Amino acid sequence: MHLSLNPLNVFLTFVISVICCACTTTTQQPAHPNDLSFQPLVFHVPEVERVNLDSGISLYLREDNELPLIQLTAMIGSGALAASIDKAGFDELFAGSWRTGGTRQRTPADLEKQIDFLAANLGAQMGPYFTQIDLSLRAQDLREGLSIFADLLKDPGFAQESFELEQIKAQERVRRQNDNPGSVARRLLSAALYPHHYLGQSPTIQSIASVTRDDLINFHRTFFAPNNLSLAVSGDFDRKELIALLEQAFEGWPKQTVPNISVDGIITEQVGGVQVVDRPIPQTTVLVGGLGLTKDHPDQYAARVLNYILGGGSFNSRMMKEIRSNRGLAYSAYSFLQVGRRLPGLFVAGTETQNGKVVEVLGLIHEIMTSLRENPVSDAELQLAKESQINSFVFGFDDSHAIVVQQMHLDFFNYPDDYLSNYRNRISEVTAQDVQRIANELIRFQEQQVILVGDSAPYFEQLNRLNLPVKRVTPDGLE
Amino acid sequence: MSLPSKLFRCFVFFTLIPLLLCSALAEAVSLEEKVVEFEYANGLRLMVVDRPETPVVSAYITIGVGSVHETSETRGVAHLLEHMLFKGTKVLGTTDYASEKPLLEQIETVGSEIDRLRLNPQSDPEQIMALSKKLQELQADHKRFVVKDVFSKIYAENGGVGYNAFTGKDLTTYLISLPSNKLELWALIESDRMQNAVLREFYTERDVIREERRRSYETSPGGLIYETLLANAFTVHPYRDPIIGWHSDIANLSLAETRTFLEDYYAPINTVIALVGDVRPAKAFDLVNQYFGSIPPGTPVPNVAANEPVQNAEKRVTVFFDAEPQLSIAFHKPTLPHKDDYVFDLIDQILAQGRTSRFYQNLVEDLKVATSVSAYMAPGSRYPNLFVINAVPRYPHSAEEVEQAIYSELEKLKDEPVADEELLKARNRLVTDQLRYLKSNNGLARMLTSYQSMVGDWRYLVNYQNEIEKITADDIMAAARAYFVSKNRTVVTLIRGENNNAPKS
Repeated sequence: MHLSLNPLNVFLTFVISVICCACTTTTQQPAHPNDLSFQPLVFHVPEVERVNLDSGISLYLREDNELPLIQLTAMIGSGALAASIDKAGFDELFAGSWRTGGTRQRTPADLEKQIDFLAANLGAQMGPYFTQIDLSLRAQDLREGLSIFADLLKDPGFAQESFELEQIKAQERVRRQNDNPGSVARRLLSAALYPHHYLGQSPTIQSIASVTRDDLINFHRTFFAPNNLSLAVSGDFDRKELIALLEQAFEGWPKQTVPNISVDGIITEQVGGVQVVDRPIPQTTVLVGGLGLTKDHPDQYAARVLNYILGGGSFNSRMMKEIRSNRGLAYSAYSFLQVGRRLPGLFVAGTETQNGKVVEVLGLIHEIMTSLRENPVSDAELQLAKESQINSFVFGFDDSHAIVVQQMHLDFFNYPDDYLSNYRNRISEVTAQDVQRIANELIRFQEQQVILVGDSAPYFEQLNRLNLPVKRVTPDGLE
Repeated sequence: MSLPSKLFRCFVFFTLIPLLLCSALAEAVSLEEKVVEFEYANGLRLMVVDRPETPVVSAYITIGVGSVHETSETRGVAHLLEHMLFKGTKVLGTTDYASEKPLLEQIETVGSEIDRLRLNPQSDPEQIMALSKKLQELQADHKRFVVKDVFSKIYAENGGVGYNAFTGKDLTTYLISLPSNKLELWALIESDRMQNAVLREFYTERDVIREERRRSYETSPGGLIYETLLANAFTVHPYRDPIIGWHSDIANLSLAETRTFLEDYYAPINTVIALVGDVRPAKAFDLVNQYFGSIPPGTPVPNVAANEPVQNAEKRVTVFFDAEPQLSIAFHKPTLPHKDDYVFDLIDQILAQGRTSRFYQNLVEDLKVATSVSAYMAPGSRYPNLFVINAVPRYPHSAEEVEQAIYSELEKLKDEPVADEELLKARNRLVTDQLRYLKSNNGLARMLTSYQSMVGDWRYLVNYQNEIEKITADDIMAAARAYFVSKNRTVVTLIRGENNNAPKS
């Protein structure tokens, strides 16, 4: 089947020119997408195999033998919300020191050498609700890789020198966190929307210094146990061999009772405001945000449609059309909706525009939001937002590792069993009334946080039009 | 030519990426078996990889023309054209092209008259004002013919994702992933776009690009230092100019120049297509033939005549920006298929990739003068390019201290042969990372089109492992001695200046 540039190809070229002469006279190609008809797409949500290992670990498996690679993701069902609120940065210090601090059997240097020599990728991260480690390696290295992986989960070293290095790297990141206007704006927005909560805290030099190696060791001791561990594996492995290797690798790791972490404390009664950070730059970053919802909200599907129409649908969204395409006021104009797993996520609209156009852009965003609150969206918009999300659903499944990890997360957060298989139906049931109802719930002008980072000279005096208290702050949020 | 992932990440919407090709693809045999390749009579090339597991397909169209092919009069036009090609055709994006056409011509007449007057200091400001008002009225009137962002809409309602394009120094790529039952839609839209594009809403889009420029280069210390580095490292070669153009370039590009660039270069002879996913090669061949087969071949993109002279003195620049210090150092080097390009792939691994690399071990872990040191090849690969080292100094260490520490690592590379084990580690990494790039339909489509367009044969990827195996420790030492010399380098330091020390408050 392989046709190269060689003699064969000369033949092919010749054949094609003949065919083409024929085409131009006999067949007429469709001129408009409406003239096309398509075969229905055959797609079923792929099955993921679940296995409960003797050790207590929940295993998710999907074989894929196309390339000689294997990916593993281990998830401990506890995360940063366990940390004390004055220790912001605990998450990155834990993940970093766990990843780089060696194990009881391996010094950090030996472990790194082994990983790099195998050309493996190893990464750790801690989110609010869970802690995760990922390993990608060649199929031939599975045994060696698993031994490192299990070692890191059971007996991490958190070597003192690795911990100190992670600390100074984290502190340097704090020093640099004001270098880009976008990161200043996002930080201020989270702080305003999650006051006095871990989700709103950003690390400081001091908060990072206040975390100790013992804090990390304690977290590991308290939460790392096979009964609090899920594992997703995809790639080129033999199922039986893999399970045997896993049982062996985690053998003797004792189960233990793991404390629940409280997720309370979000203030849902928000007080809106405008914060302005002055920077000597030619463009202002604009964020307008509020709290979104959680996955348990009955209108989460309507909210997804709303977000698409507001700014989540790229060129098909109102923000992109009005701010960029019609007026040339910005390169990017977008919104995003985080459907929180346990606590409400953010619902944010944002853009960047030259300083002289900030008032105009804020006016447009306000106008678009007002219209979404006051009028039902048009049939065409509703249709497009729904079709787009329904027909692109299949792209959630084009990577075998993403499939297993997704299933692991859905189970962990107790999504209903039919969540995936029903997703498209739920979207298709959304009506214009649903969208308007959720728009009124999620867009509340008096509770909005508006963050502006740029040279405010051209617009500061006009911000009182927003009918929200306006204050100038430093990039760190101080008045 | 490893591609740093942070540069990958920067393509959102129609962003520019400095195109650095990935060191890609291993499993030479299996790749060669997987790719089915066709060449049509009009010069168009198609590569197909059939992966039936999930009913989706990624479609990449790469035109072998980029900003390097612009002249000093048309800097920025490759990227502007890429934006304009999202505005529809004579069929799509209009309610009635025949009635729209005269209005578009009027808009162009008034718009280019305004551009002409603005450049002349003697122009009457009132005349410009009046014409600008007239332009606004015409643009408002034009709205009744425009079906907004129509490609985006059609692809989205059919389930398309990742609809985008990017302009590089060397080439321009248009991409979309679709459910595989919708492949014909892609063929129809893209062949229409190649033949019948209408460059509507031009003057608004110039403003969009100026905002893009502010966002990517003028409010971002990383963008600023990169742009400054290129503008200084090259004296003659167009690799020196930003893909997006300078402000005055963008503001003065004309519709006529943009149209000429389109007509000159967007043709089958300069185009390669990759379809990767749930698609049968024979069917793909027929489909592409049906829609693209009868398009006239066009003329090949000419080679760039400018030849960068040998640098004979170190260049040093300090840029001021309200941010913590950063350092960027560039050395001129040859490009593929020169042997030293492969040598630099290994040097990059040995110095800068992973926690056991020399920079990380010595500068980050031991000396603790930096928190990260990275390296990459830039800004393109069609012509001789640069080996760039970026460093993030750690407070209170200065960029100078970090710079000196980097140089002592480069000196070691000149004086001591790299150990066998270190070389083997670097080769393992290059070969395995290639496999990882192959995993996704997008990654594979991107690499096939890039190498086919750039080197003229995607099999560069297949032969890569063999070439890498041949490189010895002596080759590395020789290259280090030849290229890591002070007169071959450009050093840019970004620091806070006296005037922008603190934000105004």
